[in-house]
Amino acid sequence: MTGGDGAGGSATPPLVVLERITKRFPGVLANDEVDLELRAGEVHALIGENGAGKSTLMRVLYGMYPADGGRILVRGHEVKIGSPRDAIANGIGMVHQHFVLVDPFTVTENIILGEEGGERLDMDAAQERVAELADSYAFRVNPGAVVEELSVGEEQRVEILKALYRGVEILVLDEPTAVLTPSETKDLFGNLRKLREAGRTIVFISHKLDEVMEIADRITVLRRGRVVGETRPSETSKAKLAEMMVGRPVLFRLEKPMVEIGEPVLKVENLTGEGKLNGISLEVRAGEILGVAGVEGNGQRELAESLIGLRTPESGTIELEGAAIAGRAVFDIRNAGVGYIPEDRHEQGLVLNMSLWENAVLGRQDDADFSGSLGFLFIRRIKDLAARLVKLFDIRARSVDVAASTLSGGNQQKLILARELETDPKLLIAAQPTRGLDVGAIEFVWTQILDQKAAGRGVLLISAELDEIYALSDRIVTLYEGKITGEFPPDAPPEQIGIGMLGHAPEEAA
Amino acid sequence: MSAEGMAAPMAAPRARPAWLESFAGQLLALLASFGIALVIGALLILAYGENPIEVYRSIFDASLGSADGIGYVLSIATPLIFAALAVSVCFKGGMFNIGVEGQYYVAMILAAVAELNLDFLPGPLLVPAVLIAAMLGGMIWAAIPGVLKVRTGAHEVVTTIMLNGIAISLVGWALNGPLKYNDAPEGAFVDLRTNVFPKTGLAGDLGSAFGITPGAHLSWLFMLAVAAAVIVWFLIRRTRLGYEARAVGSSPGSAKAGGVSIGSTQVRLFLISGALAGLVGMQNILADRGYLPLNFVVGLGFTGIAVAFLGQNNPIGIIFAALLWGILSRGEVALQISSQVPREFIIILQGLLILTVVITYQIAKRRLAARQLQRAGMFGELDDSDAPGESAGPRGPEETGAEALEPSDEKRI
Repeated sequence: MTGGDGAGGSATPPLVVLERITKRFPGVLANDEVDLELRAGEVHALIGENGAGKSTLMRVLYGMYPADGGRILVRGHEVKIGSPRDAIANGIGMVHQHFVLVDPFTVTENIILGEEGGERLDMDAAQERVAELADSYAFRVNPGAVVEELSVGEEQRVEILKALYRGVEILVLDEPTAVLTPSETKDLFGNLRKLREAGRTIVFISHKLDEVMEIADRITVLRRGRVVGETRPSETSKAKLAEMMVGRPVLFRLEKPMVEIGEPVLKVENLTGEGKLNGISLEVRAGEILGVAGVEGNGQRELAESLIGLRTPESGTIELEGAAIAGRAVFDIRNAGVGYIPEDRHEQGLVLNMSLWENAVLGRQDDADFSGSLGFLFIRRIKDLAARLVKLFDIRARSVDVAASTLSGGNQQKLILARELETDPKLLIAAQPTRGLDVGAIEFVWTQILDQKAAGRGVLLISAELDEIYALSDRIVTLYEGKITGEFPPDAPPEQIGIGMLGHAPEEAA
Repeated sequence: MSAEGMAAPMAAPRARPAWLESFAGQLLALLASFGIALVIGALLILAYGENPIEVYRSIFDASLGSADGIGYVLSIATPLIFAALAVSVCFKGGMFNIGVEGQYYVAMILAAVAELNLDFLPGPLLVPAVLIAAMLGGMIWAAIPGVLKVRTGAHEVVTTIMLNGIAISLVGWALNGPLKYNDAPEGAFVDLRTNVFPKTGLAGDLGSAFGITPGAHLSWLFMLAVAAAVIVWFLIRRTRLGYEARAVGSSPGSAKAGGVSIGSTQVRLFLISGALAGLVGMQNILADRGYLPLNFVVGLGFTGIAVAFLGQNNPIGIIFAALLWGILSRGEVALQISSQVPREFIIILQGLLILTVVITYQIAKRRLAARQLQRAGMFGELDDSDAPGESAGPRGPEETGAEALEPSDEKRI
């Protein structure tokens, strides 16, 4: 294969060519004869809905899955990549959504793990090499820091450095911004630009179109396992990309229903606790969606968990329609009429290895409808409930007996939503309700939340996505370091809200 | 993206219900692991210069080859069923009760107290009273680690191990002190024990009705053990407590957010586990001996962990696992009589069995998960072809402790 001249059309010969890659999973054709070319020194965005086959394609390239058909050429030579080790030997590295770091190790120890070089370990020299590498691409990371003390964004930098340390030239990033705050995303993009300048190739898997438009040189769109188009940011628009991804036009703004705003449903005053909540006061009225905007880690999680009863606040009051609920048990608060969509649906939403019907009743297993006074479950009735929810919310499942783990992320979120809305709660707490979902599922979740408003319920929407806050909220408050730093009308310019998200304070550095 | 969902009457791959498939799969896995263990065992026997077929036949003859043998197997299995059930109940709630051992010691003391002090009761009342006392004893000893865990976060493995040590000393103290026998003739040499229990307070012989020698000590306690397994199955699968226990065991965060009180669930599970553990020693004192001796059978609680593992913490599986264990244990006798293979071979075989079960079950589980996934794919429930639910939140399935069921694992091999 020496002297193969690759694709003739372009000036720079492609660095990597994926030819007619086909990958089948039982019952699913994940990649259907996909062609893809990566050139040196480009940021190549790979976009598509969840399940479009983006991650699968890149895992084939990275040697995690064997392809069922097609071939891979690196620098014009056909290569067999049977494992990530082969991929790295060919200069291909990948950073996954879930990091694989050894928590008690330092940054340097993690980076050199498996590449120590020799029997004697010179940690100082290694640390220096890592620091140099980090500096050359403007990665802000302390090589001596212990990983378990790092933020998610820093951990991601360590993962990227790990790949670079192994001399990787093609770096695949699987939805890297899904776990980042806006400012961390900005930092990451800065790093990526540096890498591009240095001639490295980056594959950026995403379904966030704004980011793709910002960072990508070329964009390949996948749908249902096939390439449906290749374009450049200058030649396309967000709406066009969304249409390519979904196969139909997508509304980025939904019609907010006109509802008369009623009495306060939720009244929080001076809520304080655990150093994360520093005197929060807010109010949600019937028929109103209150958006809580803010960079993650400023007390969002603690706020939501205090409201549903998972945390006991140190001081302050929480009133649901006038009745104090602060510090009460989750069970009581739920029964009082609060629904909860947790920010982490695996950790607080579903029991993954239990069936759909068992998950559908979670939180209501004590209802007289679902279990008797002796503690026996009325399984028939619970399954009927589950079947009803599955139908109502169009949850794609073979039966209500399958484990929740077999559902896609979007369907899992639908199941939680269905369960929480079934009881007709007076107040819905929705924390990051569309995190990790694709465009179609986001639309569905948004519609459901707006329906709650239309039905005269109160909704507290906590989201790190400003788009989402704008699309749904009637009023917006910003949360910064456990305090409400501002209240804004739904048409306030993003810059204003941005200032609120940074707490008005110029001392904020990160 | 059409809205077929569940409604679509697409051709199901097979009409077999999921539970049957899972049952058949598990049975197959068990048989396969048994086969593998036997083959490796055969190699060991060959290394001893004996004929594996003959050795295995002698084990079979001693255990299932006669009515007496079966009687022995059933009575060996009886305490193991209780012990394994006790372990499995805690395990469902994500806890490891290493303290079944100590719990049954304490239970035997209380049972002996009941026997010796309530002897005025007629048999039909005395025996239930003794069993209740035993269960209470187990519950008291299990409540300690349960409450400590919930109140202080003390890990149950540590506390139960420590309590085991205390329990064995308690038995010694009781037998040297308040419960020491006084029914033996002066000057006669008798091993340390309690007074002999009243005849009416013993577990009636079941074997003689089937022509089994009384020496097998088969009693209706075996029936009680089987009944207990059925009750535990029902408890885990059909009641609110069992449901909440499984939720707590698999995903404490989701259970808590669903309004389940984790602490109360765990304490209740420990109490149930302790009650079951309390019955472990009954075979020994009510059927085998008729009194509580100092040299009672120890180690049943630990063996119960192995049996629970072998039965995959499934109550019905536990019955079969205990029977299998009983067959092998009974085989020890045969080995001593009819071959040069040392009796420790049985322990090796039991160990092999656990290893092969662990391995084949993992493989079977993955196969089963892959099948589920395949079905899911055919029905379009996976918009997300490569990893179900992968995209949720910054922290994903890794932390839920459900890896075994994560189909994505399968494909990474």
